Amino acid sequence: MKNSWIIALRELKERLGARSFIVMSVVGPLIILCLIYLLFAMGGQSKQHWNVLIADPANIMEGKIASSKDASIDYSFADGYIETKEFEKAKIYQKFDAILEINEKILSNKTAFVFFREKPSMRMQTRIQYQMERRLEEVLVGQFTRFSISEFRKIKQPINVSFKNVYDPNDESSNIDGWVGLFYGTIIFIFIFLFGMTILRSISREKSNRIVEVLLGCVSPKQLMLGKIVGIGIAAFCQFLIWATLIGLGLFFMRENLFPDLYDASNMNTQQLTQEMLNQSSQEQMFTAREYNEFVQLVYERINFLGMTTYFFLFFIIGYFFYGSLFAAIGASTGSESDGQQFVLPLIFMLFFALYSGYFTLNNPESSMATVFHFLPFTSPVVVMVKLSQGYKIGHAYELFLSLFILLISSLAVLNLAGRIYSNGILQFGHRVRLKHLFRWMKN
Amino acid sequence: MLEIQNISKSFNQKIALDDVSMTINKGEIFGMLGPNGAGKTTLIRIINKIIVPNKGVIRFNGDIMSQKHLSNIGYLPEERGLYKNMTVESHALFLGQLRGLTKADVKQKLDYWLEKFKIQNWRDKRIEELSKGMAQKVQFICTILHEPSLLILDEPFSGFDPINIELIKQELIEMKAKGKTIILSSHNMESVEAICDRVVLIHESKKIIEGTISTLQEERKKNEYAIKFRGSMIAFVNALWTGFEIVDKEILGDDKFIVRVKMRGDNKFDDLLKVLIGQINMEAAWEVLPSMQEIFIDLVQPKEISE
Repeated sequence: MKNSWIIALRELKERLGARSFIVMSVVGPLIILCLIYLLFAMGGQSKQHWNVLIADPANIMEGKIASSKDASIDYSFADGYIETKEFEKAKIYQKFDAILEINEKILSNKTAFVFFREKPSMRMQTRIQYQMERRLEEVLVGQFTRFSISEFRKIKQPINVSFKNVYDPNDESSNIDGWVGLFYGTIIFIFIFLFGMTILRSISREKSNRIVEVLLGCVSPKQLMLGKIVGIGIAAFCQFLIWATLIGLGLFFMRENLFPDLYDASNMNTQQLTQEMLNQSSQEQMFTAREYNEFVQLVYERINFLGMTTYFFLFFIIGYFFYGSLFAAIGASTGSESDGQQFVLPLIFMLFFALYSGYFTLNNPESSMATVFHFLPFTSPVVVMVKLSQGYKIGHAYELFLSLFILLISSLAVLNLAGRIYSNGILQFGHRVRLKHLFRWMKN
Repeated sequence: MLEIQNISKSFNQKIALDDVSMTINKGEIFGMLGPNGAGKTTLIRIINKIIVPNKGVIRFNGDIMSQKHLSNIGYLPEERGLYKNMTVESHALFLGQLRGLTKADVKQKLDYWLEKFKIQNWRDKRIEELSKGMAQKVQFICTILHEPSLLILDEPFSGFDPINIELIKQELIEMKAKGKTIILSSHNMESVEAICDRVVLIHESKKIIEGTISTLQEERKKNEYAIKFRGSMIAFVNALWTGFEIVDKEILGDDKFIVRVKMRGDNKFDDLLKVLIGQINMEAAWEVLPSMQEIFIDLVQPKEISE
């Protein structure tokens, strides 16, 4: 083990001193920050004025919604049922951007649906929900209680408003939290791919310059392979820490300097703000202040960095060992530095498939395929991140640990098989690697 | 020191070693000879635990050879390389630590060797800045840095100029004097003959012969003698009768020759001297023993022809 550590340290030193490492440490975070900036900037450019039709067949809201006029939303009322298809296609409804369905039982089941044509920003969603809740509070207090409105607000239950696309009401992809998981999964994918290729190149270079036999005179092939994977893995980890620090600093800089208006309530329309604040409790003022760009909110408010990062590291490290040992096995079995490319392709395919499975899970979180991907060791590092950000159902947290356990066992098995290929292939030179070689070496 | 017992190894269907046994004694320089592909490197790799034999056992000082014994071995493979972007010192530190030395030990021993080879200014040079011969020297130093009790050198003289070959030979002789055991695999027969105490010849996966150089030469001598003389070559030839055969002659000057003569029948060296004395001015006479090169070719070539 000590020798593996010495090999790991040499590898780490070489990686940290490499120009490519330094370049990637700066360029990677810059690219991500640029992408985040674009998302922030574009996120703030969604539709500013909304026409909302309230379908209220039981006339619960009595044709009223907000005590003060909201400049950004115009509400209209319809007193009959409107089918989603009808709203989608009928000419008379085309001027409305969304329909808010107030069903007869809303006061008891506390559920409402909004079908939109174009997805409203988080700010707009919050406004619609807020104004509807305010009106329903008035109705409830007036009809069913002897409480004052302020007393009632202390005991009220929130209304669950579901926002759905009118053209595709079953689409669940509006779950923005899942994207955070996919982002984490993508980072895992990028790092495993980049550093997996580094393992492969480093091993085939050691083979071609023949240092490998000198090393094998001091350490066993498996120790050598493990040292290499660990050393390059630590380099990957260091690079990740640099990325995390630079991206964190970049996000802080953006919040403070580039997007203060998206974050700070004081930058809202002054007249509107004053008007609203006159009638609002301090809790409501906070509620208003939280109306900002959804990406900004997502990044600065909704990501549980600590929880996500803990599992990220676990799945990243074990997933890296899983794929890293496969890259090492291919590197050891090559006959020359240029050989073995054909065996890298299936690995890259596996990695891309893992990424796709994450995207699939994002859109179909409850499908049986998503469950399979969640437990498959070569897809789980990405899929679990998505599931984790979407949240596990109550009583299903064991799935996370089961997936982690399967990945761990599989990584150990793959490490063992790769070790066999490595031991047998590392001193074979000048041949063209074939699948039969790999199987033969695996058996020995 | 090292007992190799009935080692067999095959790769796929190709037999690399077939029931090979030998013993290497403490404090000797043991030459491992054989044509390319004979199985020498396979055997060396098996000794170094790099590959596992299909059959057979290796014992190191009586114990079954295991990974823990590797720190007592210094191995310089034939196909050797260095990390090109590392300096000489960092290389020595890396390999020295892998062989169980501390950083301080490595630095101290490296100082000694750099000074001994008069290459102190190489310490901070990157390997890519060194010539092939210079890099070979660094590899040799890295191999012996941890003062192993058994040194295994596969073609240690390749890539060296004659001066450095001599330098390495002297080092090996010094190490032998300190009680180290050395296994040497080489095609450089002159060096093998000069420094090895015993040799083994491996051919087509099998051990063909094993013994001391003098025993092997004695066993394979052809009853030939060399005579160095002044005088006429015609007089020399006339003096000989049918009991002797001239095998070869070397003209050293107008009237100076070295002639190799083979004894026929029961004739002895005495008989040869008797017929020559008085006929020529004899300056020297000695028994011609086969060189290791000749023994090697003699043992290996007929088999190749018959194939």
